[in-house]
Amino acid sequence: MKKGLLILSVMLVVFLAVFTLGAAKQVLHIYTAFDADQAEVYINAFMQSHPDIDVKWVRLSSWQVLARIRAEAANPQASLWFGGSNTSHIAAAQDGLLEPYKESLAWQFMPKQFKDPDGMWIGLYVGYIGFVSNTNFLKKVGAEAPTSWQDLLKPEFKGEISLAYPFSSGTAYTTLCGMLTAIGSSKPGFDPEDDAYIKAFDAQVHHYNESGSACITQVGQGEVGIGIAFSHDILKKGIAKGFPVVMTFPKEGTSYEIGGMALIKGGPEPELAKIFYNWALSKEAQDLYKQFYRIPLNPEATVAKGCVTAADVKVLPIDLLWYGEHKDEIIDHWHEVTGK
Amino acid sequence: MRLSSYRRELQNEIKRLIHDPVLLSIVVVIFALLIIFIIFPLVKVVQFSLWPGGKFDPKYFLNFFRKTYYWRPLINSMIVGSLVSLFGTIVAFIFAYGITRTDIPGKGIFRLIAVMPIVSPPFLIALAAILLLGNHGVITDALRLNWDIYGLPGLVLTETMAYFPIAFMILEGVLAKIDPSIEEAALDMGASKLRTFLTVTLPLAIPGIASAMLLVFIRSLEDFGNPVVIQGNFQVLTVAAYHAVTGMYNMPLGATLAIFMLLPTLMIFIVQKYYVARRSYITVTGKPSGVGLKSTEPHVKYPVLALMIFLSGVILLMYGVVLFGSFTKIWGIDNTLTIQNYLYVFKVGGQYVLDTIQIALIATPIGGVLSILIAYLVVRKRFIGRGAMEFISMLNFAVPGVVVGIGYILAFNTPPLRLSGTALIIILVFIFRRMPVGIRDGIAQLQQIDPSIEEASSSLGAGFFRTFTRVTLPLVAPAFLSGLVYIFVRCMTAISAVVFVVSASWQLLTVALLYEVDQANLAAAAAYGYVIIAIVLTAIVFMRFVVERLFQKGFSPIARE
Repeated sequence: MKKGLLILSVMLVVFLAVFTLGAAKQVLHIYTAFDADQAEVYINAFMQSHPDIDVKWVRLSSWQVLARIRAEAANPQASLWFGGSNTSHIAAAQDGLLEPYKESLAWQFMPKQFKDPDGMWIGLYVGYIGFVSNTNFLKKVGAEAPTSWQDLLKPEFKGEISLAYPFSSGTAYTTLCGMLTAIGSSKPGFDPEDDAYIKAFDAQVHHYNESGSACITQVGQGEVGIGIAFSHDILKKGIAKGFPVVMTFPKEGTSYEIGGMALIKGGPEPELAKIFYNWALSKEAQDLYKQFYRIPLNPEATVAKGCVTAADVKVLPIDLLWYGEHKDEIIDHWHEVTGK
Repeated sequence: MRLSSYRRELQNEIKRLIHDPVLLSIVVVIFALLIIFIIFPLVKVVQFSLWPGGKFDPKYFLNFFRKTYYWRPLINSMIVGSLVSLFGTIVAFIFAYGITRTDIPGKGIFRLIAVMPIVSPPFLIALAAILLLGNHGVITDALRLNWDIYGLPGLVLTETMAYFPIAFMILEGVLAKIDPSIEEAALDMGASKLRTFLTVTLPLAIPGIASAMLLVFIRSLEDFGNPVVIQGNFQVLTVAAYHAVTGMYNMPLGATLAIFMLLPTLMIFIVQKYYVARRSYITVTGKPSGVGLKSTEPHVKYPVLALMIFLSGVILLMYGVVLFGSFTKIWGIDNTLTIQNYLYVFKVGGQYVLDTIQIALIATPIGGVLSILIAYLVVRKRFIGRGAMEFISMLNFAVPGVVVGIGYILAFNTPPLRLSGTALIIILVFIFRRMPVGIRDGIAQLQQIDPSIEEASSSLGAGFFRTFTRVTLPLVAPAFLSGLVYIFVRCMTAISAVVFVVSASWQLLTVALLYEVDQANLAAAAAYGYVIIAIVLTAIVFMRFVVERLFQKGFSPIARE
């Protein structure tokens, strides 16, 4: 059995070698709601300007980040929450899961509609919901691209719409908030007209995704006819990629998000997290949004040509704070109405 | 009388344990591990469902029966499970029959194709189904079809392809064991081939068929990877539980759904293990039955061969399209070949590759040794709780991965055992999820080794530890090493349990693959899939080399479900 022992010890050495690879540097742990291909760009840029810090990150949808932070509340595993719709940050602040940070210059200069008054979260960018339609599909069914929330209920779109689950995705929850505001009374929450609309809309949906921007690729590839997502994602993942798609907006007004960032309470590396936080609001970092058509909140950062801004679309008066604080209630009701 | 003899037996066992402190301490440690890492998480699941917030409150449990969106997924899972178990067993039977009972050519290749889905990562088949049969899949477009693969049809198709290999391996064993002389006897007495098949072969295979169907049913019920990609609006229980936990952080709901997943699989496991498995017919005859009876009639052979070629073609096509997809620029729009997806995997997922291999390399030897140790204790030693040890350690065979995952986050998120976010929690999931197969194999292997060899070692004065490491381990080494490869392969391809315990510090390739699928990045997902396959194949080839060099024996790491 000497041979066997030899082989086993060789394996052990190989495995120890693999195990000790990488180490030494300070490590910052981040949860990000940016799509993985984007998060990689931002975080790599950070690591290049901060060579002494190594960032370990996981991409999750907004509400999945919150679920993760709630689950780990007794023992937080990440220090920073980078990106995601701010309704989810509001819900987290309400649960006492975030660490206030007001000392940052960026926070002090940020207009007040883009930050939490107690410093729990701060805005990174704004985004507007749009519809993405496959042009071949529109030709086939002989329809125009939808230009209102009601258009989505047209019989020719039945079983052709895709979006994400509103309980996991920030995009889809933002969409739902927009629907509830645009249909019936604009008072936050469900009213009977909303119930009827959501039920009818659900019947139009081909399937729900986990992640908000997935529907754009699905529309581009013709898996479904119409998707609902953020316009910056539609520009980047649909139109810029050369998919046969068009983007439209609901004329009643569309929904919007403030993409946010927050320090996680009790996170293992609070100081490193602050370094990242300040970097993420710098011109250098916010200029990176250009390549993804996001609208930066740092006024010095450049806005990409072709970006969808507040001047291009009608925006609904959505009470994001209320919707952030009442998410569980809204989702429970959504389950009741859709049976899903 | 009986009671007193029982008591005497008990006293003897206690005495034996006390006289062998090494054995005693090993038994105690193993029981502690089994209770902490198998039983405790399940207890936590029940506790969170029925005692949410610390007080008894069956609200969630009762809601399960009241609310459509609670019970509908269970019904859906049952429907999928039944259909998959039926179709999977039929496909498996065709392959097993063709390989064991006919003289078709190319059996080795067919066999290889039939077990291929076992070593491939999850979602790969669902991904292939979308690329081929989706609303704009290759086949859909080529034939100008207008169908919808999402939902029930896609689930049944992908899970049948993913899980028929399990049924195949059971049925191959069963059919190979049926003595051809019995069939010959039927034929000699004038029965037609068909009649012989229906009244002799099939009835003898029934227990095997039942086992196969039940195991495929369990596998379908606990499948997470394929449904999360292709379920559409036909929500199944595993995905519903995943949503409750990862999307809504509704732990009581997740735990309740987990219980309703666990009940059917446990029932089936017990039926299979204690009822069906004991009913296997072994056809014993006086003479050795070496060469089997092979159907050579063209009207039997060629239809079977045609079906096998067709099914193999489907499997190869699925792997092929995913391989092709992993090299396309933008799947379906710009099919220019490029390696950018692989560059992306190593740029974004390079760390995940290292994490995954590290974790797998730690979990594999520990899981392997622990399995053999438990198998050894169960087969060779007499001690109190031996049956319980076997049952508990085999339990995870029936506990769906999603239930294990939820149990682990509930159990190991608070002191004294605060493991969330560590590599250890992932390693533990792997070890205890994969042990049952290792133990079962170890038991089978040990039963074939004459205990007198070990007794000789003991009577020459070697203690428990020395006997185990110097005599038993070397004897079971070939099986042990190929068992290691099984565990390694499983670590590389598992998703359903570990998706709940990965963290910012420790991320796995399969989970990264899931996120790419989530974002409809199908080409990147396909590239991740083939990176996993490449690692798995490297491991298999390496171990094959080692085993053949060391033991000059055959090596079959795949054939062990």
